[in-house]
Amino acid sequence: MGGGMSSATLFTEDPRNVSDSPALLQRLSGIQPVKLLVIGFAIVVLLALIAYPLALLIGYSLIDAQGNLAFDTFEKAFNRRGMWAATVNSTVLVGLVTAGACALGIPLAWIVARTDAPGKILVTLAAGISFVIPSFISVVSWIFLAAPNSGYLNKLAVEYLGFTQAPFNIMSFGGLVFIEIIGVYPLVFFAVSAALHNVDASNEQAARVLGAGRLRTTLTITLPLVRPAILSAIILVMLDALSSFGAPAAIGTMANFSVITTKIYDLLKFPPQFNYAAAVAMPIMVVTAVSLLIQKYAVRAENFRTLTGKASSEQITTLGRWRWLAAGFCIVVVFATAVLPVGALLLLSVLSSFGADITLSNLVTKHYALIFDADFVARGSIINSLLLALATATVCAGLGLVLGWVVERVKFIGREAITFLVMIAYGFPSIAYAVGILMGYVNLFYGTLTLILIAYAGKLLPIAFVLVRNGIQQLSTDLEEAARISGAGWLRSVRDVTFPLVRGAVGVAWVLVFSLSLRELSMSAILSQADTQVMPTVVIQFIEDGAIELAAALSVVIVTVSLSILGLIRFFSRKKTAVVS
Amino acid sequence: MNFYSPAAHILPAVEAQPARLELRDLRKKLGDTAAVNGIDLKVAPGESVVLLGPSGCGKTTTLRMVAGFLQPEGGEIHLDGKLASSASFALPPEKRHLGMVFQTYAVWPHKTVADNVGYGLVVAGKKRAEIDREVAAVLELVQLGDLAKRYPSELSGGQQQRVALARALATKPTLLLLDEPLSNLDASLRQEMRFELRALQKRIGITTLYVTHDQDEALVLADRVVVMNKGRIEQVGTPEQVYRTPASRFVGNFVGTANLLEGTIVTVDRAAGRVSVALDAGDITTARASAGWLATAAPGKRATLLLRPEDIRFDRPEKPDQQTGLDVRFVSAAFLGSRYELQLTAKDTPLRMQSRTPGSFTDGRVRLWFRPDSAWVVA
Repeated sequence: MGGGMSSATLFTEDPRNVSDSPALLQRLSGIQPVKLLVIGFAIVVLLALIAYPLALLIGYSLIDAQGNLAFDTFEKAFNRRGMWAATVNSTVLVGLVTAGACALGIPLAWIVARTDAPGKILVTLAAGISFVIPSFISVVSWIFLAAPNSGYLNKLAVEYLGFTQAPFNIMSFGGLVFIEIIGVYPLVFFAVSAALHNVDASNEQAARVLGAGRLRTTLTITLPLVRPAILSAIILVMLDALSSFGAPAAIGTMANFSVITTKIYDLLKFPPQFNYAAAVAMPIMVVTAVSLLIQKYAVRAENFRTLTGKASSEQITTLGRWRWLAAGFCIVVVFATAVLPVGALLLLSVLSSFGADITLSNLVTKHYALIFDADFVARGSIINSLLLALATATVCAGLGLVLGWVVERVKFIGREAITFLVMIAYGFPSIAYAVGILMGYVNLFYGTLTLILIAYAGKLLPIAFVLVRNGIQQLSTDLEEAARISGAGWLRSVRDVTFPLVRGAVGVAWVLVFSLSLRELSMSAILSQADTQVMPTVVIQFIEDGAIELAAALSVVIVTVSLSILGLIRFFSRKKTAVVS
Repeated sequence: MNFYSPAAHILPAVEAQPARLELRDLRKKLGDTAAVNGIDLKVAPGESVVLLGPSGCGKTTTLRMVAGFLQPEGGEIHLDGKLASSASFALPPEKRHLGMVFQTYAVWPHKTVADNVGYGLVVAGKKRAEIDREVAAVLELVQLGDLAKRYPSELSGGQQQRVALARALATKPTLLLLDEPLSNLDASLRQEMRFELRALQKRIGITTLYVTHDQDEALVLADRVVVMNKGRIEQVGTPEQVYRTPASRFVGNFVGTANLLEGTIVTVDRAAGRVSVALDAGDITTARASAGWLATAAPGKRATLLLRPEDIRFDRPEKPDQQTGLDVRFVSAAFLGSRYELQLTAKDTPLRMQSRTPGSFTDGRVRLWFRPDSAWVVA
């Protein structure tokens, strides 16, 4: 082996040239400890964040106050006073909101995607704004506009339009339905208009060539093609309305009605009744699970038609004199969902007091001064919110990267389970999830921001996961394999190749999670204590205390920070070097 | 400049030099089908071996097992005489010291050409000056010297291909793997690159394992062609061997165009390695056959003869292998510039023929002659 010796000294980094290496040592070189450690850690965190609280929630709904197995918890929970009324309210709310969002969103999508109505761009902009503003902030705006007596629209109507009594009352069940509709209709609008944009013109042209008229083509070709998009959006809207908490809490308190989510919140007030809260959350969980299954099997089965075309000018319908009717509809929507609420919020935040005349002398900055006052609760909540958003976004982006990589790149049985678990967390109502977090971690992290961070991270992880996973999906495996062949280990190949190439997706995920963390209310309401208030809980507190001007000022802070951080997306989606093949 | 002094010096200079790559009874299932079903192969240092077969024959699976991206379920892979993969052990890809060119090129879009090519050297911990020198040398080798600072998106497909090749060569691997590297190029560039790759491989003497489904590519690039089908090796041989003396009907059909004529054996001449066969289509001809087949051949048994389209002629040779010439009927003809491509039938057997002349048919019929020594028994 004379020759072998010299080669071994020359190329010691090459294990194959270390002659006669023992079998065990050789076997060990096949193990990749860093990879196992990182992936294992991410999976443990995932289980702790999502699987554990959900298991607790289901478990608690099956026991009585003493911890014994009991199946009458549901019965007892729902026989509590007002519980059936709350259930009926929730059901009616879901039905009306879904119908309303479709009635608003589908025609708007068609007008924007397929007609020559003027002002189309404004509708998209308004829907975007409406989507960014959480419903508890809409409540602040609409109290200003349409509170029974002092709302400025009511005053306008009575004083100048000859109404004998105030025409609007936002502090009612109808008011709640209205606020929820303008909050969720963008889901329908964006989904359907994207689908309409993607229907290749040749599909419709083929029908026209065969003799179908414009209306017939729309009904028999276009609508069926976008039906999956409509169904998906409807399911999202239903789940959103069912699990909504902010607006029902704010309006329900004033108008004296409850829905299921506000009942859960009440059950957790001192003394907390975890088992009843868990039992009441069960129906929401079941509806959510069923909806997600419908979505997965029914809607996706129908969605085999991949829509990949580009709308062309040939698909634009000329409305003729109907054009102005469509434009009128658009303008009403733009005003009602964006201009009025945003204007109201800004105005209210600088008005000396709610109800004062709108004159220059009544405009003040004292509310903002108070918001940022060091001795006042709002300032602490701003800091808490920003810290939490920062931490949540970072945790979610990191976890999303590792889990997305695992699911896309490693073949093992558990990867379907990871996807399933993450998507469960996505569809899961926040309020129920927060109950699970409370039960699982209250002893460890009572009254700390960590408790809220756990909840935020678990609930928002799906958004980061889906975005980053899509990014990884678009990367050819070859790119990473080329790095491995070049001698880079797993971690290094991820650092040098995978991460730089999905940096855009990770960045967008970070920004979105940050922005969503800032406006999270339902979980914060349950989990925050005196020292761990966040901006949304303080807004709700201001509303309940009647300090509506302060609520407006703090809401402006939330919306401003959210919008400016969302502006970073442009930065992340800018192509730096090349299109990935 | 001699960029590539192949890693000969790292190999023990002993008499029995180990094969650079050895596959022993390699097996792998993908889903329920046996993608690779027992493969034995040795690749000698400096040799260029091409795995050729239709899609799904297991050639890419084999290559990916050699690279270390897939683990075999049975058998072993040895690199330079050391175990690299078995059912219970897999050396990670980064520890195999290989070079690989991917079908999609896999050139990293966020790195410049120079950074792509130098990556393996950076990972190996080489000094900056040395990396720069080696990158420049290997870029020179693939004629990309002036594009070092460009990003891949600014390059053509052919140039990206060269970057991928340079990157694979930069670390001076002991074995270069190529996975259908030319299949994404357009036809004319593909033909040009074939010859260039072959010249490069010969010049630097690197051991190469090349996967393709393109028979022309295989014939140009290979010292030895390994024809695969359904997870097994059908034949291993030089390009001439697999083309002229295919071991099976499959090989005959897959490598080039095959006319298969059935017949009954009349006489067997084992000493000369020939048989004479009475063709079902008429005429009696002699044909070469492998020793293994001849061992069991006997008059009265059936035989299948392979004839390449270019070995069939209108003119009777001086010493024909046939008695009367094969009587065929005209079906169709196409003019392809350098030749005519004719479709004929002999009784019911379809026949394809390449000819410099369109031929003169009487009542649509003509007699054909085989180039002497060209008929070959495939089974």
